[in-house]
Amino acid sequence: MRALVSRRGAGGGVRPYSTTLAAAPVPDPRPLGSGNADDTGLAGSPRPRRAARLVVVGAVVVAVSVVASVGQVWAQKGDAQAGKSVYEKKCALCHGDKGDGKGPAADLLEPRPRDFTTGVYKIRTTVGKVPTDQDLFDVITRGMPGTFMPAWDVLAEKDRWSLVAYLKTFAAEKLKEAPKKQELPKEVAPSAESIKRGKEMFEAIECHKCHGADGRADGPSRPELKDDWGHPIRPANLTKRWTFRGGASRGDIAMRLANGVLGTPMPSFIDSVEKPEDIWHLANFIASLGPESPNYATLLSARAVGAEIPDDPNAEFWTRIAPQNVPLVGQVIIDPRNFNPAIDLVALRAAWNEREIAFHLAWDDPTQSVADPAKKTYADAVSVQFPRALVTGPERPYFLMGDASDAVYLLRWENGKGVVEADANGPTKLAPIAGGMATANAVYANGQYRLVLKRPLASKDAARLAFRPGVFTPVAFQAWDGGAGEAGTRMSLTSWYYLRLEEPQSNRRFVVPPVVAVLTLVAMLLVGRVANRRG
Amino acid sequence: MRRALGGFLALALVAGAAAYVHRPAPAGAQGGGTIEATVTYNGAAQVETLKVNKDTEQCGTEAKIEKVVVGANKGLANAVVSVAGMKGAPTGKKATVDQHGCKFVPHVTAMTPGEVELKNSDGILHNIHTYSTANPSINKAQPKFKKVMSEKFEKPEIIKLTCDVHSWMLGWIAVMPHPFFGVTEGSGVAKIENVPAGKHTLEVWHETLGKQTKEVEVKPGQVAKVSIEMKK
Repeated sequence: MRALVSRRGAGGGVRPYSTTLAAAPVPDPRPLGSGNADDTGLAGSPRPRRAARLVVVGAVVVAVSVVASVGQVWAQKGDAQAGKSVYEKKCALCHGDKGDGKGPAADLLEPRPRDFTTGVYKIRTTVGKVPTDQDLFDVITRGMPGTFMPAWDVLAEKDRWSLVAYLKTFAAEKLKEAPKKQELPKEVAPSAESIKRGKEMFEAIECHKCHGADGRADGPSRPELKDDWGHPIRPANLTKRWTFRGGASRGDIAMRLANGVLGTPMPSFIDSVEKPEDIWHLANFIASLGPESPNYATLLSARAVGAEIPDDPNAEFWTRIAPQNVPLVGQVIIDPRNFNPAIDLVALRAAWNEREIAFHLAWDDPTQSVADPAKKTYADAVSVQFPRALVTGPERPYFLMGDASDAVYLLRWENGKGVVEADANGPTKLAPIAGGMATANAVYANGQYRLVLKRPLASKDAARLAFRPGVFTPVAFQAWDGGAGEAGTRMSLTSWYYLRLEEPQSNRRFVVPPVVAVLTLVAMLLVGRVANRRG
Repeated sequence: MRRALGGFLALALVAGAAAYVHRPAPAGAQGGGTIEATVTYNGAAQVETLKVNKDTEQCGTEAKIEKVVVGANKGLANAVVSVAGMKGAPTGKKATVDQHGCKFVPHVTAMTPGEVELKNSDGILHNIHTYSTANPSINKAQPKFKKVMSEKFEKPEIIKLTCDVHSWMLGWIAVMPHPFFGVTEGSGVAKIENVPAGKHTLEVWHETLGKQTKEVEVKPGQVAKVSIEMKK
């Protein structure tokens, strides 16, 4: 304990505190929630002094970040002892009491939780193995997007620093060297030119070997990839920046390119591009492959069109409708469960005319698979789910493909088979509906399926839903990556969403207002004339 | 100016001569002898094959993972033979590993601490991914235009070398603490020269078959022949 106190003293210039977890303040959502401001003795001061306090706090924060960026980042900022008790409450379930990544939940997770005893951290801003404290702090704070590691920004900043201090004790020997900052070449702003150069370099350094030609993680080396511990590992889907483990910004991407992702197949490219600034051209190109955030849709809509709706999923027509991104999660309610779903997003475009309704679905899948028992693969599939009849109240069938009392109506498409309409009273109780009215057209290229499902708007019988404009129709989605062994209840899915068929915008809006205006004018003139006559 | 140049030339000459003199003396000099070790294995070769789905022009359509290579007279290739407990300065020789035909050539490289030249003759993307503990682990991309890279391994250790792009690629770099070592060729033979006379322990390391030792006595100016059989 004495050692701890003296260590705190050494780093005390930056963060002097000695509270244990029990005495720690309530987690503070503000980014400055270090709790140190009180030490300045300004607590309870009147307003002007509060401003002064803010300035002081700001100065401290600036000082901290400057110190961090200058490289004296190995200074102890947290209290390992306090970190231990936070760790045992929040981290041990996955990462294990001993920090060896073997917590009770570890076997369910992929990628597996980090084994801290190795001292190997994926995300660093340093050359070599040893990360800065700030690197560890950042991973704790923002989590590892695309994995089970959540963002722990709910913890007080002080507790996160204490966790950093505690994590380091698991591999003190391996992390004893001072971290060495990875320098990046001078930043290049994104431009058409830079993106073009980035694409050239992307091809020259063969990023596609793992990440695929269009960046959808479907490269030929994908099935062979393993991490340093021999566990299979997936390359990043470069069109989904929000799943990048180390952050989605161009700076984050440039850093990953420069020093790689430690313990994984992703190598360092800082010395392996033609010119140093190519790192930035590459980052700019990769950032251009997809949005920074998926902007998930909340309410889905189907556009009313007066014309034919094309069957071809690649028709120019579909590019004129903005995609509505819907997140999918693994089915973990019914055995066998799917804790690590392969498909995490379906992009929906929908359109209808007076005869039919069409759903354009796009989703990434690295392999186009059909059922093959020898390879343990199944057919890739997707289904769009509706209630059997339009519901008026909040009651809807059970979202997980209905239950014994309430069936759902499915448009289910399977690679190699096409579309069927089915009734379902649960994920294993599908009954095809006779006299299919639906059609499907699918294409697969560079790790992505695009599918157009069509059906007449009206229903010829009570077995199927009839679509009506202007009505909020419940809709849900399920998807299976057969190449990843997904079938049956091993699926990814959504809960209920609402789909609204936009009402056609008639030409009356161009006629009615002018007519009203003219009539009003006429009425005013009449009133005026009558008034004049009387006067 | 001229004098300075002359001085420099003289210095260069002396340095060159010194370097020449410092080269390892031929066998037998200074009371040393040669060890000729024959490593054998009484089992079958172990080779896994894998269908190649990319770069077939460079890699071929079938990749071989050679875990145990057995040649004529049961000679075991790719074993590192070294004299245990020796000390000696690094040879200063730069080791070379080529990535050729989507293989590390040679499969096992032995060297004293120092630099190794990593060549990419294939002209496609490879990545040098090492699994080391004493030396820093590296994972560096070597795209087609990067024909040669250089890496330093300063600490004695046997380092596994892989390429994640071509998962079957496997190689080893044995960084030895002294210059008394050899790697067996197809016939299972490795020669170690200039070994000081006396009794020594020979150490054999093989990636799949593990380690084994054997005593050997070296006499000045003579070749000590020794055979070692690796067990499963």
